[in-house]
Amino acid sequence: MTANLVNVLMGGVFHAAILFLVAAGLQLVFGVQKIFNLACGSFYALGAYTGVSAVGYFTGHGGPPALFIGPLIVGGLAVGLVGVVVERGLLRFVYDRDETFQLLLTFALVLMLEDLIRMTWGTAPVSTGGLYLSYGQARVLGATVPVYNLIVIGASLAIALGMGFMLTRTAFGRIIRATADNREMAEALGVDMRWVYARVFTLGTMLGTLGGALVIPATAAMSEMGIELIVEAFAVVVIGGLGSMRGAFLGALVVGVLRSVAISVYPELEMLLIYLIVIAVLLWRPRGLFGAVPA
Amino acid sequence: MILEARDLRKRYGAFLALDGVSLSVREGEFVSIIGPNGAGKSTLINLLTGVLPPSEGHVRFKGRDIGGIGPVALARLGMARSFQLVQIFPGLTVLETLQAAVVSRLGRGTRLFASLRGDRQVQAEAIEVAALFGLADRAHTEARALPQGDKKLLDVASAFTLRPEIILLDEPTSGVSTADKHMVMKILVGAARQIGLRAIIQVEHDMDIVFAYSHRIIALHQGRVLADAAPAVIRADARVVDMVIGRRAPC
Amino acid sequence: MRTPLVLAMAAAAILVLPMVAPPYHVTLMLPFMAYGVVLLGLNLLFGYTGLVSFGHALFIGIGAYTGAVLTTRLGVRHMELILPAAALAAALVAAPVGALCVRYVKIYFGMLTLAFGMVFYTFLLKFYRLTGGDEGMRMLRPSLLGSEWAGFNKTAYLVGPYYYFSVAVLALATFLMWRIVSSPFGLCLKTIRDNPLKAESLGVSVPRYRWYAFMISAVYAAVGGALLAPPTGNVDPTLAYWTHSGNVVFMVLLGGFSSFFGPLVGAFAFIFLQDTVMSVFPYWRLTFGAVLAFIVICAPGGLMGLFARRRPVEIPRA
Repeated sequence: MTANLVNVLMGGVFHAAILFLVAAGLQLVFGVQKIFNLACGSFYALGAYTGVSAVGYFTGHGGPPALFIGPLIVGGLAVGLVGVVVERGLLRFVYDRDETFQLLLTFALVLMLEDLIRMTWGTAPVSTGGLYLSYGQARVLGATVPVYNLIVIGASLAIALGMGFMLTRTAFGRIIRATADNREMAEALGVDMRWVYARVFTLGTMLGTLGGALVIPATAAMSEMGIELIVEAFAVVVIGGLGSMRGAFLGALVVGVLRSVAISVYPELEMLLIYLIVIAVLLWRPRGLFGAVPA
Repeated sequence: MILEARDLRKRYGAFLALDGVSLSVREGEFVSIIGPNGAGKSTLINLLTGVLPPSEGHVRFKGRDIGGIGPVALARLGMARSFQLVQIFPGLTVLETLQAAVVSRLGRGTRLFASLRGDRQVQAEAIEVAALFGLADRAHTEARALPQGDKKLLDVASAFTLRPEIILLDEPTSGVSTADKHMVMKILVGAARQIGLRAIIQVEHDMDIVFAYSHRIIALHQGRVLADAAPAVIRADARVVDMVIGRRAPC
Repeated sequence: MRTPLVLAMAAAAILVLPMVAPPYHVTLMLPFMAYGVVLLGLNLLFGYTGLVSFGHALFIGIGAYTGAVLTTRLGVRHMELILPAAALAAALVAAPVGALCVRYVKIYFGMLTLAFGMVFYTFLLKFYRLTGGDEGMRMLRPSLLGSEWAGFNKTAYLVGPYYYFSVAVLALATFLMWRIVSSPFGLCLKTIRDNPLKAESLGVSVPRYRWYAFMISAVYAAVGGALLAPPTGNVDPTLAYWTHSGNVVFMVLLGGFSSFFGPLVGAFAFIFLQDTVMSVFPYWRLTFGAVLAFIVICAPGGLMGLFARRRPVEIPRA
């Protein structure tokens, strides 16, 4: 009985770990640039597909399967650099526009990336096959959990701590927080916004692609994964509070675990419960757990 | 007494913006509220126009408590206001702006299928007010294309179109060149008479304007009423002169 | 203005089309007309009231499923009953949903509408006993003007009686919307779009008028949704998916949200562009994404904005 519960919870935490990465990227971009990036799910998908290809290339060229996580992470991070292209080539033209238009531009990105992925990898799902259990399984509180899951949860936690450290202890982090708080002031103090925006957006993109790459062994890369994930990521940031890192962390936990529990209890519920919570949050406490009070 | 405020206090957290302000406005009066920045004028305006409820005390308009009832309800009761930072509808023409005010006043806003152009009363009244404010020749100009002074006039004109009984003007001549200020005020006072306004309250910084038009001046300082009297009395009040008006430098 | 002439020519072309064009192109006009109705309503919300909904597919789905349920489960086949039923269903849902959503603006409004849309999508997908799940439901051929048109095969029905029925619905919808935007009500909506603070100071209740606009746009979306279903004969949950909401907003932007006929132009351009692109290049989303990006960055006034010789469109700022 408890084994089943632990299984459900561990599954939820694993999903939360991935969600956190994507949501963190979303929050970073929203907090600093005030843009809600609908394409974060698409970057997630991009990272997933690239991860599969990177692993395939690695093992195809004689790389030991046990080290597959290496090329997975490298591939996931590398493709995140596409964020620079997107930011400099597209996004920077709409910084002074109404947020509706910024949102629509990110929607344009969703459309374009969906087809670009299709063009590159086709429409059939791709996966890393049996590599998921390469690291074996462990017994946690009576349930059997793939060690890979634990690695990802650990990595995500480490990244969360790293982000926290970066934001509070480094100069770049201070600049990020200052810009998020008051952009004009930061600019007046000599911060070059182009540089900040490019870096922040790329970092946000890389978090998303990394999340996509890390989820790959546990599931297959499919063409709808991007547009499906965005609604979950959206739920995370609403519950956690727009622009807040702590919000991304807790929000991801809430969504990941609740979803897992809902599926095990009453499969029809799944996302329905999450959406109802989102609506409830938007109506009674629009700023979520840690967000700023909306104007 | 048309508008009455008694012992108004307003707190923002720990900060006390208004500390026991009382004032009244009677039929036929032109009252000016003056005071340095930070004196609490904006807060007082927001309380008097029902935008914010007082922390203590009350505001009564025609005997009714209007604390925090909001601009929509207040407009219906018969009080209108213009804004310090000019507020217009950028995409609407002068005439459309005034028509909107008439439509709102006549309660015709829910007429979904009636023709606006065909509504003779709305059209006529809008043109009438435009003429009153000297905007008739720019009737079909989009508000965003108007010069700043005309935008100000439009902001005030649309408030007047509601045919309110009392109007609160927030710095009606700010942003208007010195040469035009008296012209604007003349138009305002003339229009007020034509429409049958019962009282005017204004917040103003320009002392020439204040002294030229007011029946009574209320000087605000640090959330309290420093003085509330006729212009001649205010001019002689040393405290007001020191803290609010300032002295004219010898030429 | 040359508008009456252009309109007359367009009307003539639409009426004559089934007699001169191949059936394929005529049937392509059907989703154009359905989306035309949807977009007329959406633009009341977007162009005239300044609200961007990312959940409009909710009401398209309601309209489409109303048609499916009425024809397959309740034995009602009269289109003249289905359309009002769709409108009513949409109004009933839009009243509470709208009342909740219009208290928020900009991104929060977009998020709330997106969430509501996805709730409906999930409901349609998961409760398959009621809704047919991901395969959806069938919609049987509705009767028009009391007749089953039994002698007509599917194509003949679609390019004949159904085509002209759709034209009539679109014409009526356009006429009514024209009256609405030219009315005192329409003027009040524009004041809210331009400056909600000033609108309130003139006695216009901003949430209330937004709510009215929301409900009208929902009714239009449902009627359009109901029109969408018969040509394919099938409705499925993707009609309510958030990307469908994004696509209809795109269509409005494509045509031009500042112009009354912009939405119709946008619907036409989208449908025919999609068809043209798909026959040459399977990746229509890539093309459309690029088009949308171009519009947002360079031509926010859409196609109508490019044609109009007036000053550039004022992009609504925060």
